[in-house]
Amino acid sequence: MGARDRDWGPGAGRAAMEPDCKRRKMEEPADPPWEALLVLPELESQEIELTPAYAAPVLLRTETSRLVRELSAARPLTELPHLKRVRAQGGTQPLEVLLCPAGPLPGASRTLAELLPDGRVDVRGLGEPFLVQVPARAPLTRPQFEEAARHWPTAFHENKRTSQALAGRLFTPQDKAAMGAHMEHAVRAARRGAELGMVPAGAAVVDPATGQVLAVGHDCRNGLHPLLHAAMVCIDLVACGQGGGAYSYLDYPACSFLPPLPGDGLPYICTGYDLYLTREPCVMCAMALVHSRIQRVFYGVSSPHGTLGTGYRLHGRQDLNHRYEVFRGILEGPCRRLGQEPAAR
Amino acid sequence: MEVAAERWMDRALRMAKEALENGEVPVGCLMVYNNEILGKGRNEVNETKNATRHAEMVAIDQVLDWCHQHDKDPAEVFAHTVLYVTVEPCIMCAAALRLMKIPLVVYGCQNERFGGCGSVLNISSANLTDTGEPFQCIAGYRAEEAVDMLKTFYRQENPNAPKSKVRKKECHK
Ligand SMILES: [Zn+2]
Ligand SMILES: [Zn+2]
Repeated sequence: MGARDRDWGPGAGRAAMEPDCKRRKMEEPADPPWEALLVLPELESQEIELTPAYAAPVLLRTETSRLVRELSAARPLTELPHLKRVRAQGGTQPLEVLLCPAGPLPGASRTLAELLPDGRVDVRGLGEPFLVQVPARAPLTRPQFEEAARHWPTAFHENKRTSQALAGRLFTPQDKAAMGAHMEHAVRAARRGAELGMVPAGAAVVDPATGQVLAVGHDCRNGLHPLLHAAMVCIDLVACGQGGGAYSYLDYPACSFLPPLPGDGLPYICTGYDLYLTREPCVMCAMALVHSRIQRVFYGVSSPHGTLGTGYRLHGRQDLNHRYEVFRGILEGPCRRLGQEPAAR
Repeated sequence: MEVAAERWMDRALRMAKEALENGEVPVGCLMVYNNEILGKGRNEVNETKNATRHAEMVAIDQVLDWCHQHDKDPAEVFAHTVLYVTVEPCIMCAAALRLMKIPLVVYGCQNERFGGCGSVLNISSANLTDTGEPFQCIAGYRAEEAVDMLKTFYRQENPNAPKSKVRKKECHK
């Protein structure tokens, strides 16, 4: 953190001292450094759900391994495989062992004989059972894991990428420079659209394998078509670049696409591509990106109708056939100022 | 009313069949205003290489064209248009219908994969900021025929759809 702040400081100072510096035009000195913040999918961002289970203290510590062995055979935790069988409360407290899930409507208190009636577990060494709230699902992120472990010891298969992204360590300075440059295309397109009376929102599609910008466009809902939001424009511009497309953008020169190179193998729609959006998309656009198999979406600022973090989190739903990664905050300052600034030159 | 709905749905089903014969997802729809068809649509994703070209989006474009040709205000026309569609609109199309402020949708079968009128999300009636108006739905018209066509499509198409195309491209490199 500190190192990056220092890196930014002199750069910003130089830009302030050299008002003619063209490279600094987009990012004004007033803009704080931006961060690409991972927008977690729904399941990953939720609080840990709890479910009741029965546990019992192990009064004879020497019986622990036998009890665990017999319980694992007789009462495998098939619905709660992420839970550890035993927990140590610490100090002089006895160990506690998980007996079985309690089901949706648990009776207040049960005896060992009621819970383990078939004699497959020798209850010697066990104390009176009690109800405990345990995590219902395996934790998916470190914050979820830490919360889950406060209720009952839980296994955690850490997703390295998610943890890196949450810690802000996923992108190198070079990555960030490229991301900023791609977003600048979207910001510029938004400004040029605004000059034509369009909603000031822009978008750019990039092939991350080559770094090539495949399509740049702005919102056309006030002109060409009421449903042509910036993301929809870019989806169609990519289609144009693949020899398809549904609309003509002749009246909107800031909406452009890279013509395909002859003989170049083209992917299916937007498979594998990144989309840069100056602001969080609406539900129509977010679902259009699911249909288009986009790989990642980077946006500048959240919007009240947004569905990639603000309202729904449409990008990471298990019940849809495609999921994509979402990051917000890219070039946040310039994106936020769109529509608030006097018409650009 | 019932008889008219049956008639419109019959037309929509024939368009879905046409889509099936052209290798597109078999969804057909009509936009009806004052007892007149202003827009017809079937899925055109493969032709346009644009995954948003669902039947509803194609039909919306036709209604807009009709408004331009007849010098009618699209807002007034869409506010009195009924959509007849063989399958529950997906999340994207449901949002598009809200944005166009279409008041009523009559549809056939549920859309278990992408449905935006209750199956996956309830976009049709949700309280959404800055996303047009909610709309009414009447479900179940000729649902069996619509679902049979979808089943036929996914049986034929799914195993060799986009995945194999991508794989083929990758092999060229
Ligand atoms: Zn949108
Ligand atoms: Zn749709």
